[in-house]
Amino acid sequence: MNLLIKSFPAFLSGAGITLELTLVAIIIGIMFGMLLALGRLSKNIVINKLSGLYVWFFRGSPLMLQLYFIFFALPMIWPALTIPMFPAGFIALGLNSAAYLAEIIRAAIQSIDKGQMEASKALGMSYGQAMSHIIIPQSYRRLIPPVGNEFIALLKDSALVSVMGLTELMRTTTTLSNSVGNAIYYIPCVIFYLALTSIFTFVFSKLEKKYSAYE
Amino acid sequence: MDNGHVMIKLEHVYKSFGQLEVLKDISIEVEAGEVLCIIGPSGSGKSTMLRCLNHLERISEGKLFIDGELVDEKVKGRDALKISAKKAAALCSELGMVFQRFNLFPHKTVLENVIEAPMLVKKISKDQAVKAAVVLLEKVGLADKKDEYPSRLSGGQQQRVAIARALAMNPKIMLFDEPTSALDPELVGEVLEVMKQLADEGMTMAVVTHEMSFARDVAKRVIFMDKGEIIEQGEPEDIFTHPTQERTRTFLQKIL
Repeated sequence: MNLLIKSFPAFLSGAGITLELTLVAIIIGIMFGMLLALGRLSKNIVINKLSGLYVWFFRGSPLMLQLYFIFFALPMIWPALTIPMFPAGFIALGLNSAAYLAEIIRAAIQSIDKGQMEASKALGMSYGQAMSHIIIPQSYRRLIPPVGNEFIALLKDSALVSVMGLTELMRTTTTLSNSVGNAIYYIPCVIFYLALTSIFTFVFSKLEKKYSAYE
Repeated sequence: MDNGHVMIKLEHVYKSFGQLEVLKDISIEVEAGEVLCIIGPSGSGKSTMLRCLNHLERISEGKLFIDGELVDEKVKGRDALKISAKKAAALCSELGMVFQRFNLFPHKTVLENVIEAPMLVKKISKDQAVKAAVVLLEKVGLADKKDEYPSRLSGGQQQRVAIARALAMNPKIMLFDEPTSALDPELVGEVLEVMKQLADEGMTMAVVTHEMSFARDVAKRVIFMDKGEIIEQGEPEDIFTHPTQERTRTFLQKIL
């Protein structure tokens, strides 16, 4: 019991890093994912194919491989590109997440009734105006469940950064457990992960309710 | 306003979707202030023809003139247009359109629906846009619903809002694509009333409809289409009481 109480600050700090990593990564993922989604919808062949290539690559190779590459391999190829642990973590997580989010966002945009774009065009709006004022805002509500999903998956995928030595929640647990030789630390580990994912599940369901006001 | 000025002209227009030929050698003119009703069986190409007028569909062959200007031209399937795409878009925005399924913006209130395009496209200030919107909503009898969301309105009310929204852009021509086909019968009347009012005020209108009484009472000219061709056109009385073509007769027998 004493062990657990003494280790509480370490767990808190580890959980904090997990949360920070996830938040930064999801923001990168959403912003970049949105651009990629629009790229996939673009009539410009070059933009369209390039976006498709990105999605294919980052969804098709393991996150761990991408993480290893950014943290371990890049400095070997180009010493100037030595990225410290924390940024390497959220960059890898963010770039990977962007590929999944691109498809999620694209699907949400395409699920909006074609009549909305037709009405916008008939009223004289440009494609850009119609997208930003009419189509994309309507897609927010449809985005909340799958993006919530992605966020929660990312919270757990963040455990992978422990291979770099970053002391987020998972590594904190394994370090403590291995050094003291006691498996009891896995209990607060799972509790913290569940606490984090549950809080955000709650947040997302509240968001979803808020956005369904007009339907 | 009826001075014989030609607002819309289609000259030998063809339209195909892939292998399917939907419009065959269509040539029509619509004069200013005229109400043109287009009737015909489903699949006849009526909606497609209407949608070609404001560039929602692009013609495959032929010429399209809006207000005297050549807006679209295709020769042997290739674009032969001399004016810029931007100018063509500007000309097409002189046409307003009302859709069968209303297509109101569900995430915006009634008032917001009506002011959105004038503010975005014509860069009108919010105050001005709201003032103009309230006038239009009063015209269609829905000023008291301006802060409601479309999902709270009946079909007839939504369509009337859609008409106000289209009118907010001050179009020279209003296109109606089966405006009452998706409505419960008892709601059809209120929408036709608004359309009739518009016609009385001298708006140039092209209406694809199955409401024969409206065509009879309000239209200056009726066109009957079937399988992508214009079979017959003339004044409502002529078309409805003594049609000259067999196909017209068959169609009218089924629905009158």
